Amino acid sequence: MSQQQTKNTITLRGSAQIICEYLNFAINSVLFQRGLYPPEMFKAEQQYGITLLISEDAQIKSFLTNLLKQSEEWIINKKVSKLSLIILNVANKEVLECWDFNVQYEEGDVALSKEKNETVGTKDLKKIQQEIRDVMLQVAATISYLPFLDCRCSFDVLVHAKTDCDVPEKWAEAEPVSIANAQNVQLKTFSTSLHKMETVVSYKLAD
Amino acid sequence: MAKEGDMSLFNDVLEPFRRVINTDPPKDKLSAASKLNFSDSNQSIKEGLSNLLTLGKRKSSIGPEMSTPDKRMRTDSSSNVASAPPSPWEAKRLKIDLIAAKAQISKLEARVSHQHTIRKEMQILFEEEKTSLMEQHKRDERALSDMEDRLQVVRRREQELRDEFNEAMKEHKEYKANWDREKTELHKQIGELKEKLLEANVSNKDQISEMKKDMDELLQALEGAQSEVEMLKKEVTRQTSRAEQCTTLKTQLEKQTFELQQVTNKLKELEYERDSYKDWQQQAKTAQKRLSNMAELEKEVVRLKATERSLRDAVCNKLLLEEQVHQLSSRVEALQPVQQELHEAKVKIASLESSLEEWKTAARNHGVETARSLASALDSALSSQLTATAGCSQAQSQLAQLTEDIATIKYERDKATTKLNDLVTVRKNQESLIHRLQKRLLLVTRERDSYRQQLDCYEKELSVTLCGETGAGSAALLSARVEQLEKALQGYRDLLATHDQQAHTKMVENLRNEVSKWREEAESLRRDVQKIRAQRDTLQLHMERLDRSQPPQTKVLHLADNPAALAQKQFQLDLEAAQEEIKQLKAALREGGSRACSDAETQQLRQQLENRDIKLKRMKEEFTSSAQEYRDVCYMLLGYKIDRTGHKNYRISNMYAESADDYLTFKLCDDGIEMVHTDYSSTLGELVELHLHHHRSIPLFLSALTMELFTRTTMQQDQ
Repeated sequence: MSQQQTKNTITLRGSAQIICEYLNFAINSVLFQRGLYPPEMFKAEQQYGITLLISEDAQIKSFLTNLLKQSEEWIINKKVSKLSLIILNVANKEVLECWDFNVQYEEGDVALSKEKNETVGTKDLKKIQQEIRDVMLQVAATISYLPFLDCRCSFDVLVHAKTDCDVPEKWAEAEPVSIANAQNVQLKTFSTSLHKMETVVSYKLAD
Repeated sequence: MAKEGDMSLFNDVLEPFRRVINTDPPKDKLSAASKLNFSDSNQSIKEGLSNLLTLGKRKSSIGPEMSTPDKRMRTDSSSNVASAPPSPWEAKRLKIDLIAAKAQISKLEARVSHQHTIRKEMQILFEEEKTSLMEQHKRDERALSDMEDRLQVVRRREQELRDEFNEAMKEHKEYKANWDREKTELHKQIGELKEKLLEANVSNKDQISEMKKDMDELLQALEGAQSEVEMLKKEVTRQTSRAEQCTTLKTQLEKQTFELQQVTNKLKELEYERDSYKDWQQQAKTAQKRLSNMAELEKEVVRLKATERSLRDAVCNKLLLEEQVHQLSSRVEALQPVQQELHEAKVKIASLESSLEEWKTAARNHGVETARSLASALDSALSSQLTATAGCSQAQSQLAQLTEDIATIKYERDKATTKLNDLVTVRKNQESLIHRLQKRLLLVTRERDSYRQQLDCYEKELSVTLCGETGAGSAALLSARVEQLEKALQGYRDLLATHDQQAHTKMVENLRNEVSKWREEAESLRRDVQKIRAQRDTLQLHMERLDRSQPPQTKVLHLADNPAALAQKQFQLDLEAAQEEIKQLKAALREGGSRACSDAETQQLRQQLENRDIKLKRMKEEFTSSAQEYRDVCYMLLGYKIDRTGHKNYRISNMYAESADDYLTFKLCDDGIEMVHTDYSSTLGELVELHLHHHRSIPLFLSALTMELFTRTTMQQDQ
């Protein structure tokens, strides 16, 4: 009886880890799909039942680990409402594309949470992963309609945190970005029963 | 006894599990002891029981007593005791005993049951122990079998190793045998070699002795040779002295030959001088001859001077004539336009005469014979014309006045017509006003009538009320009044109908049109509204989404060293570097391009160029000089000068040729060289025939030609 229970419950930390794992793969996938870095810098990895490409560049790796470590803490403490991956033109700092990862907080299994004195959810991990896979496939498919990036581009990740959140070391406040004449495309959402992740890509509509 | 044995065995078995079931051994012992007691007491109880039973059942049945002879003995004894009738005390005591016994029985039974339970537990424990032991046993067996397998494997391996060892030993033995054999062979070989060595030593000694003999012989021969050498040396010294003599002789000879050559040279010079002297002599002779002709020449000179003077005069005359010719020609040129004018004047005169003739004929036709009458006639005609023109101008002024009058009249007429029109409109207005007033008048008259009627009615009423109040009369009056009023009403209605129908219909139509127009407008506006609403909804949705995506009360954070910032920094650096480079390049360009940036290099290149030029020049000089030298050498050695006149064409001229035109032409062909026909070659028919056609050798031909020419020139010189 006790074994079965642990199998189906997802703790708050575990849910945040799933979210951050998704973010890692999604950001890497976008970097690969949008051609920000040469393809030989990526290596294939099996995840969620599909092959995903992960950057092997040391700089990108360290950046993402630092980012996601902090983000995980914030997500656990419900400080973050959105993470935005922005792709900008290096020459004039113009934002060309914005991938919004909206995080919404859910109740999970209320009865079980009371019983265990800790917020937990009861959703099958396989189902969550299947949902994530659907989103990743959609991300890969966006390349067919997103405009071609024909300039020297780079990326940044902006974390939309609550105002009472402390700014840790190595972090800085940034200006919120907006794309003029933007086109929004909402991708599928997935939920871990504690967190709901909504992925939206907005891009500059070609003139 | 058996029971006791059982218990001891039980105890023994139990001993190791006491710890397991947490029972104290002394207690157990006690229980064992109690059990022993229990066995005794059991017996005693049974006795008591049987006693009681016998007491109770004696009268009822004897059969059961018979079946147990062991007990019967006791019953007998008890029966013996109970044979006497029991006294009340005894009975009492028996009863007490019975009660006590019964209590004991119950206690003992409880004990028995307790013991049973203990035994069962023990059994269970035993069984568990047994099963565990069985398992242990099985495990041991399995381990044993494994070990046996292992042992077998080890044995097999040992066997294999042993076999290997045996084989190795065998091999070792074989190797040993082989090596022994080889050793013996080698020993044999060593022996043989020793023998050979001995033999060789012996032979060597023989050879040495022989060689010594040879040496002695050779030494003797050497001594002989040395003596010979000394002899030869002496000879050589003699020969050298002779050679020296010879050389001195030779030098003397050379000197003499040199002197001879000098003498011959002098001789030649002298000969040449003699030749030149002969020439001088001849020239002197000719000069003398010319001197003898001097006088004639002087005469001729005088004659020639005279002719020269005459020629000079002629030249002067010619110049004069030329001047005259020039003057005349200029005059002719001046006269030519005058002549042309003359011609033109003649033509004009002819034309004027013809016109005069025409005039005359015209005058004759008008009956005027003389010029004066013509003039008077003309004057009269002119005056009449003047009067006519004056009349004409008068008439024209009158016409202008008339047209002005007409214009003023027209203007007035227009004014009058406009006034008329105004008046007409005024009249129309007046008419309409009149019409309206008439209608009003009509209305007013009607109203007046109705008022009059009403007044009449009132008067009547008043008269009626004044006359007397009768119910029937009043009713009739009222009804009459009602009728009147109704009539009046009807009249009003008719009036209204007649009056307002047209205006009303017009108005209605207008209103209808307006209504329909407004309706259409409303419809279109509604449609617009719907459209705008839909637009608003979509925009609101959009706004909501935007609001959702950009919730307020958040702050945006990012890692300070993000890839975008790094890339921008890198880009900035690149840009600065590029701009720096551009600046440098521009500066370099301003300073004069490549000269500034590579002054040393250009200097070097220039030097190189100069060096190359010098080298080239030297090479050219060298080449031309060597070519010249080669040509000179060829000329000197072979006697022919070879010139290349064109492609594959060569002209050769001999050293001893009589003139420069005597040359031969050759052409290089694919299969050798061919002589081309020239004027000179045609004179050498014999040689060509012999050497070229017969011998087919150009060098031979040329040599022969040289020989011939040489002989010819030397012959000439000799002559």
